[in-house]
Amino acid sequence: MSAALIALGLLAALLALALYVQRRQFGKLRRWAAQSRLTDPPEAVGDWGAVFNLLHRHRRTNLKRRRQLAQLTVRSRRAAQALPYGVTVLDGELRLDWCNQAARLHFGLDVVRDRGAPILNFVRHPDFADYLEAGEFSEPLRLRAPGQAAPALSLQLVPFDEDAWLLLSQDVTAAERLEAMRRDFVANVSHELRTPLTVLTGFLETIRDLELEPQRVRDYVNLMAPQAARMRRIIEDLLALSALEHAPPPPEARVLLRPLLERLRTETEQLSAGRQRISLSIEGAHDLLGAESELASAFLNLASNAVRYTPAGGEIRLGWRSDAEGGEFSVADTGIGIESEHLPRLTERFYRVDRGRSRDSGGTGLGLAIVKHALARHQAALSIESTPGKGSTFRARFPAARLAPAPQKVPG
Amino acid sequence: MGSTEHISKQFEADLDTTRTRVLQMGGLVETQILSAIDAFASGDANLADQVIENDARVNGYEVAIDGACNHIVVKRQPAASDLRLTMAIAKIVTDIERIGDEAKKVARMSKRLQEHGPQHAQRFPAIRHAAQIAVKMLRQALDAFARLDAASAAGVLKEDHEIDDEFRAAVRQLVTYMMEDPRTISPALDIIWVAKAVERMGDHAKNIAEQVIYIVKGTDVRHTSFADIEREIGAD
Repeated sequence: MSAALIALGLLAALLALALYVQRRQFGKLRRWAAQSRLTDPPEAVGDWGAVFNLLHRHRRTNLKRRRQLAQLTVRSRRAAQALPYGVTVLDGELRLDWCNQAARLHFGLDVVRDRGAPILNFVRHPDFADYLEAGEFSEPLRLRAPGQAAPALSLQLVPFDEDAWLLLSQDVTAAERLEAMRRDFVANVSHELRTPLTVLTGFLETIRDLELEPQRVRDYVNLMAPQAARMRRIIEDLLALSALEHAPPPPEARVLLRPLLERLRTETEQLSAGRQRISLSIEGAHDLLGAESELASAFLNLASNAVRYTPAGGEIRLGWRSDAEGGEFSVADTGIGIESEHLPRLTERFYRVDRGRSRDSGGTGLGLAIVKHALARHQAALSIESTPGKGSTFRARFPAARLAPAPQKVPG
Repeated sequence: MGSTEHISKQFEADLDTTRTRVLQMGGLVETQILSAIDAFASGDANLADQVIENDARVNGYEVAIDGACNHIVVKRQPAASDLRLTMAIAKIVTDIERIGDEAKKVARMSKRLQEHGPQHAQRFPAIRHAAQIAVKMLRQALDAFARLDAASAAGVLKEDHEIDDEFRAAVRQLVTYMMEDPRTISPALDIIWVAKAVERMGDHAKNIAEQVIYIVKGTDVRHTSFADIEREIGAD
């Protein structure tokens, strides 16, 4: 009886001990598992150790996988961020979920504040709503606010996943402007050539259809000749421009400036025919490195413009200044001047401040475009200063790399 | 419990849809202003006609949104901030519609100016500049409404005087022309109408911004000085 009691007591004590050990292990496990950082599992006895190790392995793989996933997310976000397109992620109801920096700029979005708001709240151009309504997303939509200077966006809605959309956007302002320039150029060339051609055909038809006295015919021919010359000038300028565009970089041959400028003065005086006072000043003893013919024609172009737009009695100053930092050729006149709004567009092909006037005075509308090109090939920048009614100054600034010290004259 | 939650969700969706529609209407009116001013500067009669024609679309928006607001008030009986939002939407819509009317007026005047001769409009960069400011104000007011951002709405109020300055500059210039040459009086008066219309656009954009502040803060800032408004917004 008592033996049975003792045995029972012993059993109870053993059970209590076992329970205590298990509880301790369990407590260790719980504390370990509760740690957010992954540490080695606590020491354990028997099966507990196996369980600990199993758990530890699981946690380790999980953590690794989670890190990889996080990395993948970050990388794909970064990739989307780096795209030159605007990327906007929308949910099934076209509410904003996420967008990259480009899209932020395109639509003025603020991802943190605007998340969950309908994209239509921010992209309010009526054409966008119409595009969504039409539901035809295979073609991109050109979105452009009215007005000349407004930027243009190209948008496309692409379904992705179930119940989500990608809105791709691209700034096409520059591309559109280029397109417009090309269109204008072709239209302008045709127009410029057609005008003298119309005059020529008019006279030709008259001469062919009517019996005219030889004197009249001669008069007509005299009127036709300048028109033909004008067409030839335009074509020559176009060819010159095209040659400049496609030619290899100019050679770094020494261009003796003093004789070049003296020649320029003589030519300008001939153009002026005594109507204006022409002066030339040279400071600094440097020559230029480059293509002589291009530089001479660019300088003459600037000088002839000055002659053309300076009334009789005015003054034209040609100048060259150079020092160690660079050289500057300038043409200053006391002519009619140019309104400031025209200055940025002056070197565009066929751009004219006053259409009638410049054509009457024999301009082709290409002169300054050629000058700008020829100068750019010599790394020189053209700058224009002008006051209407007072006069203009055109400056071509050359970098030091294009200068060469003038050779010393050997005395005797 | 479940059903009231459902109702309030539905109600919120109604308000959200209405708000998006108001913003869409604002976007339409924004393009109307820009097109009208473009027509004024370039003398493009087709563009002016298009603006006049499009005004019907603006009015259609106004009627629809007004209907939606009435529906919300009657059916949902909103309280507190929801009521404020609903009432403010009704007022904002009126202001947007008025801006649309002013744009139409500019388009009409541009067509009439063409009859006097094409050269008049280009000379008034002040008016074009004022219109740019008006568009910017409207855009900012609408953004503030979309985000319920009182601080950004207060920024709109500050810009109104810039338009007033441009308006005065344009008027001064016109008066000089009229004194120099009485033949310019008739077109100059039309141009003053255009300038006035642009100036009114700025006023309406300002009203919209004031309504946004009312929605967010619950205080009526109409007829209040800007310094007081700033204090009001910075109060919390």
